[in-house]
Amino acid sequence: MTAGGNAIVTTSALTKQYGSVRALDSVDLSIPRASAIGLLGANGAGKSTLIKLLLGLISPTSGEATMLGMDIRTEVIRIRERVGYMPESDCLPYDVTAADFVGHMAEMSGLPGRAARQRANDVLYQVGVDEERYRLIRGFSTGMKQRVKLAQAIVHDPELVFFDEPTNGMDPQGREDMLNLINRIHRQIGMTIVVSSHLLEDIERVCDYVVMVDRGKLVVNGRIDDLMRGGGDVIVRIDGDPQALVDRLAARRLSARLSGPEVIVTAPTGGVDDAVYDAIRDAVVELDAPLRLLRGRERSLEDVYIQTVGGVDAEEAVAANGE
Amino acid sequence: MASNQPPVTTPAQPYGEIYDLGYKHYEGKRLGRTHAIKALIIYSMKRGLGIKKKWTAKLIPIGLYVTAFVPAFIVAGIKAFVPTDDFVYSYHDLNDFISLTLLIYAAALGPEMLSDDRRENVLSLYFSRSLTRLDYLLAKVAAMGILLGTIAFGPPLLLFLANVLLADNPISYFFNHVEDIGRILAYGVLVSAYLGSISLAIAAFTNRKGVAGAIFIGGLLMVTGIANALFDALDAAVGDYIILFDPFDLIIALSAWVWGEPTNMRIADLPGYWYGFAVLVTIALAGTLMYRRYLADD
Repeated sequence: MTAGGNAIVTTSALTKQYGSVRALDSVDLSIPRASAIGLLGANGAGKSTLIKLLLGLISPTSGEATMLGMDIRTEVIRIRERVGYMPESDCLPYDVTAADFVGHMAEMSGLPGRAARQRANDVLYQVGVDEERYRLIRGFSTGMKQRVKLAQAIVHDPELVFFDEPTNGMDPQGREDMLNLINRIHRQIGMTIVVSSHLLEDIERVCDYVVMVDRGKLVVNGRIDDLMRGGGDVIVRIDGDPQALVDRLAARRLSARLSGPEVIVTAPTGGVDDAVYDAIRDAVVELDAPLRLLRGRERSLEDVYIQTVGGVDAEEAVAANGE
Repeated sequence: MASNQPPVTTPAQPYGEIYDLGYKHYEGKRLGRTHAIKALIIYSMKRGLGIKKKWTAKLIPIGLYVTAFVPAFIVAGIKAFVPTDDFVYSYHDLNDFISLTLLIYAAALGPEMLSDDRRENVLSLYFSRSLTRLDYLLAKVAAMGILLGTIAFGPPLLLFLANVLLADNPISYFFNHVEDIGRILAYGVLVSAYLGSISLAIAAFTNRKGVAGAIFIGGLLMVTGIANALFDALDAAVGDYIILFDPFDLIIALSAWVWGEPTNMRIADLPGYWYGFAVLVTIALAGTLMYRRYLADD
């Protein structure tokens, strides 16, 4: 992702080491302003570590980073005035009303008392916590708590908001509502957002850009449209032994797998072009088997993820997405 | 019956309309870190006092304030209505009484300041705001110190005020005893910092308020018991210094030193500055523990 002078976040060889574990390994990143970025990776891939480093919650072992043009090591307080953060975990006090707590968080970001209370009420209304804002948070459902967490993240009108697994633990309707709210924050209000998730569908729904991390390394970053451009996998069905076709395709350096009676030919890194279709045709001819189906499949973010991350992590993420 | 009155009609123009103005960007002042620290001090004090919490949370603070101030009022009342030279009640006597109240208040406040934020994971929100970990810790220490100070300073200052007002010549009494205010403040600061720092240091290591309070009270009782046993077991040269590790006796000895009165204690009577030194060392140790707990990764 090249953002040049328009970047709201840049990192250069950013590294975080915990003892012998390298949680983040020399990450170079540039996030354009006014964009919606999906930070994708399996659990433990380094997403939360990256967010915590950028917020100054932990110190980098080496490397550099800037947010809003300011150094995260030396200007962290000024940065935090302009950045919002919605953590993954439960982080709300129980015996405080939503209005009091969100107002208090606004004051913690430097807003004067009266303005903080006013904005707390406005923002809670915007996220759908209206009359309930005067109730203790203790009695709130998971969905309501997520909305309060969202409200505290935007109450000080930040330029950039980090959402760490925002739909975690939510029921389908709550998840839908939360994604709509996040979408609105970006599209209507104009805030730059970074959504960290292991759910591919959430990222696809909300974001324009995607940053994929795997075992602490940055493996993909770019516009989702660009990444999904080009053909996806190719589905082939023949009358005959599909395993034989898989073997023939392997001999032609094409990766394929069985899916019931069908053979799924994985799209190469450069996408599916005529040469791939020619190779499939030739392999089928060699087997002398009637060709029943040859169809390209739309490339999805899931395909991109599997191709770049691969292995167990990708399968876990895809499985989670399907739940 | 027909009427000549015109029929009532709906006004053509509505009286008003409600508009959803949507999200509004904030264009006002951002007051920064100092404001955030002040706001956190005030917020923490309110929570410590049980303000905007259910009524049961207010019971302990109210009970302790009543307990701490009642003796000063009674003494002032006796001095006002039963004038007699036989009745002597010094600031040191008052400190002796309120030290227990301070101890219980410190046991309740320390966990209130730190444990909830740890248990409810609110720290991640605080530390992503306009304040550092050190700011957070200092704000909590300040809130605790101010609240403990109201009990450490309040009753003695009330007694001082009563003494001034009941004196034959209040103005000359005030100027002749103005150094008493300094003593009240000095003792109040030291004892608040001493008890507050121990309680906060314990609360920094547990998420459970009840556990933190129990460890504080139980720990002080246990240390006191051990100190007394050691005093009996050791020879006098070493045993005298045991008082420095005995919180209850140390507080009373500190008050006696500040007010220039005899300690009247069984176990030792060291030069006064030893008590001040012991209190400062304890505060430094507690501060170091909190620093390591909260600022390790700042």
